[in-house]
Order: sequence, then C-alpha cells, then structure tokens
Amino acid sequence: MTFAVTVGGRSVECDQDQALLDACLRAGVWMPNSCNQGTCGTCKLHVVSGEVDHGSSPVETLSDEERCAGMALACQARPRGDVELRPQGTSAARTANPLRDMVATVREISDIARDTRRILLGLNEPLTFDAGQYVELVVPGSGERRQYSLANTADEDKELELHVKLVPGGVATHGWLFDGLAAGDEVDISGPLGDFHLPPESEDDGGPMVLIGGGTGLAPLVGIVRTALRRHPEREVVLYHGVRGEDELYDGDRLTELAGQYPNFRFVPVLSHEPADGYREGFPTDAFVEDVSTARGWTGWLCGPPAMVEAGVKAFKRRRMAPRNIHREKFTPADA
Amino acid sequence: MTTTERPDLSWLDEVTMADLERNPYATYERLRAEAPLAYVPVLGSYVASTEEVCREIATSPDFEAVITPAGGRTFGHPAVIGVNGDVHADLRTMIEPALQPAEVDRWIDDLVRPIARRYLEQFENDGQAELVAQFCEPVSVRSLGDLLGLQDVESDKLREWFAKLNRSFTNAAMTSDGEFANPEGFVEGDEAKAEIRSIVDPLIDEWIEQPDDSAISHWLHDGMPPGQTRDREYIYPTIYVYLLGAMQEPGHGMASTLVGLFSRPEQLEEVVDDPTLVPRAIAEGVRWTSPIWSATARISTKPVTVAGVDLPEGTAVMMSYGSANHDTGRYEAPTTYDLHRPPLPHLAFGAGNHACAGIYFANHTMRIALEELFEAIPNLERDTREGVEFWGWGFRGPTSLHATWEV
Repeated sequence: MTFAVTVGGRSVECDQDQALLDACLRAGVWMPNSCNQGTCGTCKLHVVSGEVDHGSSPVETLSDEERCAGMALACQARPRGDVELRPQGTSAARTANPLRDMVATVREISDIARDTRRILLGLNEPLTFDAGQYVELVVPGSGERRQYSLANTADEDKELELHVKLVPGGVATHGWLFDGLAAGDEVDISGPLGDFHLPPESEDDGGPMVLIGGGTGLAPLVGIVRTALRRHPEREVVLYHGVRGEDELYDGDRLTELAGQYPNFRFVPVLSHEPADGYREGFPTDAFVEDVSTARGWTGWLCGPPAMVEAGVKAFKRRRMAPRNIHREKFTPADA
Repeated sequence: MTTTERPDLSWLDEVTMADLERNPYATYERLRAEAPLAYVPVLGSYVASTEEVCREIATSPDFEAVITPAGGRTFGHPAVIGVNGDVHADLRTMIEPALQPAEVDRWIDDLVRPIARRYLEQFENDGQAELVAQFCEPVSVRSLGDLLGLQDVESDKLREWFAKLNRSFTNAAMTSDGEFANPEGFVEGDEAKAEIRSIVDPLIDEWIEQPDDSAISHWLHDGMPPGQTRDREYIYPTIYVYLLGAMQEPGHGMASTLVGLFSRPEQLEEVVDDPTLVPRAIAEGVRWTSPIWSATARISTKPVTVAGVDLPEGTAVMMSYGSANHDTGRYEAPTTYDLHRPPLPHLAFGAGNHACAGIYFANHTMRIALEELFEAIPNLERDTREGVEFWGWGFRGPTSLHATWEV
C-alpha cells in the first residue's frame, strides 16, 4: 500500500514500509539527511498533517516531546496515510542526486593494509553523486545493509572505490567482504546518501581546508581532496591520516604524488600506538593543533571513529574554526 | 479570605533596596511561598511575585498600566509603559511599525551583524575580554542607536545614559509617608536627561525640517497631518524608555545567557556547534535572569480581589517578572540554567497589551550577536580567575563577564 508524501509543494509516493526520506530521495526531492541510522537528527522534520509510524527512531534523537509536537525522523518514519512534511529551518532548494538501487559487479579486491581492503565495484550505468557521499551494500542472505563511503571523484562514476576495514565477527566484513567475495560477484547497492561533501563549485571559494581521516575514514577524504584541489589548484589543504601503526597506512603513494602536483597540499600520516621511523606520532587531531596556529576561515572535514571525530571538532574550535564550517561524516560503522 | 488570615509578613519590614538589588531571589522566593501578592514596605507598593498572579494582573480587564513612582519621576509623562487608552494606542502606533517582525526581518541582519563583527575585531585576537563592556552592551546600544538615528552618539555615551537612567528609575525606596527615601538618587538621571536633550533636541530640529528613515524621525512625522509633527515633549518620555530599557536589556540578556551557558559547559558546546540553538539558549537565558526583573506596574481600575487579597480601586502592583520566571509551580529547579528545559512561555517580555513592543527586535539582536561571537571565538571559556556578580532589582544582569580563549 502506498501513500502520498508532500513536501515543499512536491508529492511523492511512499510505500507503507518505506522510510519517508528514502521515498523523497528516490524521487529526486532533496531534504537534509546524513547518517540514515536515526542517530544524527539531521533529517528531523515537521509532520504538518497526517500520521507517521516512528519505527525505530531512538528517543535520544527524537524525544517524546518532539513526537508530541509533530516532529519525526525522515530516515526512520513510515507513513500511516497521506502526510505533509515541512523540513526544519530553511529548505533551500537543492539539486538531489537521486537515490537508486543498482546491481554492481566486483571488479577488483585488493588487500591494501592490515585488515583493510580496497573493493572496486563496476556499474552498468553511471551514478550521479558528490565526492564524499556513501552507498549502502546489501549483505547477501541477511538483508542487512552496511554503509561505505566512496573514495571517488564525481566523474569516476562507473567504478566505485570502497575502503573496507575488517570487523571481527562482523556479518558484512568477516562473513562476506573478507570471506568469499570474489571478482565477478554481483552486489546489490543503493546510493548515493549523506551530506558529507563539498559545496557546489559555484559556492566553493577555494578557502583553506583541513581533513582528518581515521583508518578507512580516509576514503571519502580521498574523493573530496582531489575534487577540492582540481577546483582550486592553489588552495591550502592539509590531510591527516590517523592509524594505530604503519601497517594500517595505505594510499600513501597516491597522496604523496598528489602533494607533488599541488604545492599547497600536504599529506600527513600519523601513528597513534606503534611508532615508526619517519612518521608523526600521536593522534592526528593533536598533530593538527601542533601544525596550524589558526584555522579562522578554514573548513574542516572529519571521518573516522566517533572519539576521533569528537576530538577533531574540539581541535578545530580550539584553533577557532567557525563551527558551521566543520563537516563530519555522521554514520558510524556497525558493530560485529 | 481576609487579610487577617494572611501569614505574618513583618519580615518584609527588614528588606532594604540594597538587599533587593544585590539579590532579590531569596525575598521573592519567600513572597511566592507565603504571599504571592503582598505589600512590600520598602517599595511602598504591592508586589506580584508568582507566574500566575503576574499573568492574571497583566492581562486583567480590571487593571491598567501605571509607571512606578521612581520610573515616573525619571521619565515624566506620557511614557509608553505607563499610559493607557488613546495616548497608549497612539504611542504604540508610533513605535510599532519599525518593530514589526516583517519589518525587522528586512534590515536586522544588515544592521546588527556588521556591528557585532566590528566589536569582535577589536578583541578577538586578544585571548581575553570583559564581554559585558566590550561586546554585549556595545552591540546592544550601537544597533538600537543607529536604528533610532543616534549614529553620532558614541556607544560609551549611550551606555553611560542607560546606566544613569537605570539607577534613577529603580531608586524605588519609599518612606512610610509615601515620599522618596533617596531623592538625591534622581540627580544623575536628571543630569543624563539634560545631556540627552542637549544632543537630541538639535537632531529633532533637523528631523522636523528634513525627515529621514531613522526611528525618531518617523515618530515625529508618522500619522501626522502634513506640515505637523508630534510635540517633542510628548515623545521624550518614550525616548527615555528606549534609552534605558531598550538600550540596556539586550545586553543584559546576552550576558545572562552567556553566564548561564558557562554554567553548563556541555550546553555551551552544543550551542556553539549548532547555532540554530542560539534562540533557545537566549529564551532560557532571559527566563533564568530576566533583564526586566521588576520594572513595570499595573493599577486597579476598580475594587478587585487577587490571590485572596482585596485591593481598592487605584492600587498599584509591581510586576516581578524575574520572580515569576523562577516560580517552582511552573519550572523545575528554576535557579538552574537549562537549555533543554521544556520551552514553556515565560514572562521576561511581560504580558497583556503592555507586553514589550521590542521583543522581536531584541531577540534577533541578541541572536545575531551571539552567533557572531561563537563563530569568531568557538573556544570561548569563562575566565574563572574572575567572579561573576549580578546586580539589580528593577533591571538585572551580570555587571561583568570575563572570558578567555586560546589564540
């Protein structure tokens, strides 16, 4: 059974078992969204009329008072009838990269660091996305979905690059991507999703940027940093890659080569637990504080474990980066 | 109930103005518990202290506005806060066009944001500041001063004026004979008014001949027949209302909000990270420490019984909104600043047909100022080497607020 979901004067069809956000994004109607797990609150909106089932909306993200006041999380709520929605705050018109379901073919699997794989997925049709966005993979046989950032730039639209870290006991990694997945396999994916991407080129003033990735949190930054430098080759960009030990580092050659092409780009790997010659020691967020005396006017990009992201926000603010210029990937990897 | 059954309120005889100005909360907490409508000898007036009684009187058809005695001595007549009927309607019609939300939205950002940035630029790289004197008060007076047409009056002069008018307006102590207990307390207010007239009179002369888009020019001309302007003596008391309350209180509201947020570092961080929370932080800030704490009054227009007290016609009641906003009947732990408190309506801007006309302007001035402050200094912390003292019974806020940050 489907219902009409109206937002900003546009009406889309939404199945009774489908999240409001999912229906809108598939129809090319953009609304703010980020983690698609019900935890970040970015997609919170007003239900102007009609009723919704809040599904598994966590009470930490959507309080009882908010539910009573007609708020809902678009990524979790399902319609119980025709509904009219109003996004929070300004609902500036934005082009949406429509959410699509696709079947991708595994082109290549390579072990690039300790417990870390690069997986290349070929598409029959190009995917429209912004560098930094993510896709969901459907774990065969389980119905579970897992989110992985794209390391691609937007023009690399027919072969998606994912960086995957092994989660011991994890249904997607331990049970599939690191065990059994082979070149030529078909994979069901949906995407693109998320708001972790650069502004449109016309609004990108070429200002300085700092990006900090923890582990495979490097992936979206690889796409973002290449896009940013191509737009403004002279811009100042610092990319920190934080890992525990040297054997978890990857893509060092690729990024060092990039630094050779762009004189104001610096790539700084940082080892937190297992020091090695020639590498910075400690946490990448501390390295940033040591290296950059003021980040006024900078934008900041954080992707990695929650503790690293929190430390990054504090570090950026300590160097007086305006909080509205701090971007963070909000989805968090699933536990085992 | 008759007055003979009421609790013994003789403890009120001991209450002094100095006590109330230093910290009115203990006295008013006891009033709320024992006598939400009570005669307070030092003020020579009845006082309403609970949310319910304040709201009942502020919206009652059996009461109308009256200015407090010290307020009337300071502002003269007809001040918009103390008049009724046609004169009140005319004064509200005079001031309201510039304060309508749709009108304020048209220019508030362009007015306040550059002013806030300008003051921030003067200290943002110092690593420390006294935010009341260096930011909250200057942004407040400069924004309103420019709106009124007082661009040429220095911010420090506008700050000096509101402080002097404030002390005069709240020089409320009365003798048992109904006389002002400290008549000399009005002298500095009189001096400020003389200086204001010496500066504003020539501007009014100009605006009469050459109207411009400043608020006071509009007050002179709007709604008047061609060739006529409102008499300056008629609008001066309302100019003083602006030069005191409207100049001072956005600064108080910002500073109190900051002190409240500093008391909850995790909530400060939330607001810094998400500027859409700034309006909510301010709403809680002005509930927590209401800038207009006890500065307005009502008078009964016929014999009336309120909160079990029989009041004859012509009885003045002071509205203690700062106390009402700490009413435990309405707020849990009201002395605590809590961004996440259920956002019940509060009385910081009053109620009824004399509710603050500048609520929208003030809220947005405070919002933009704090947005700019947190944008420029996201690592702001209270300087714990310095204490924070609040002062004031009629108008209340921190007297200073020292902050530090890493540069």
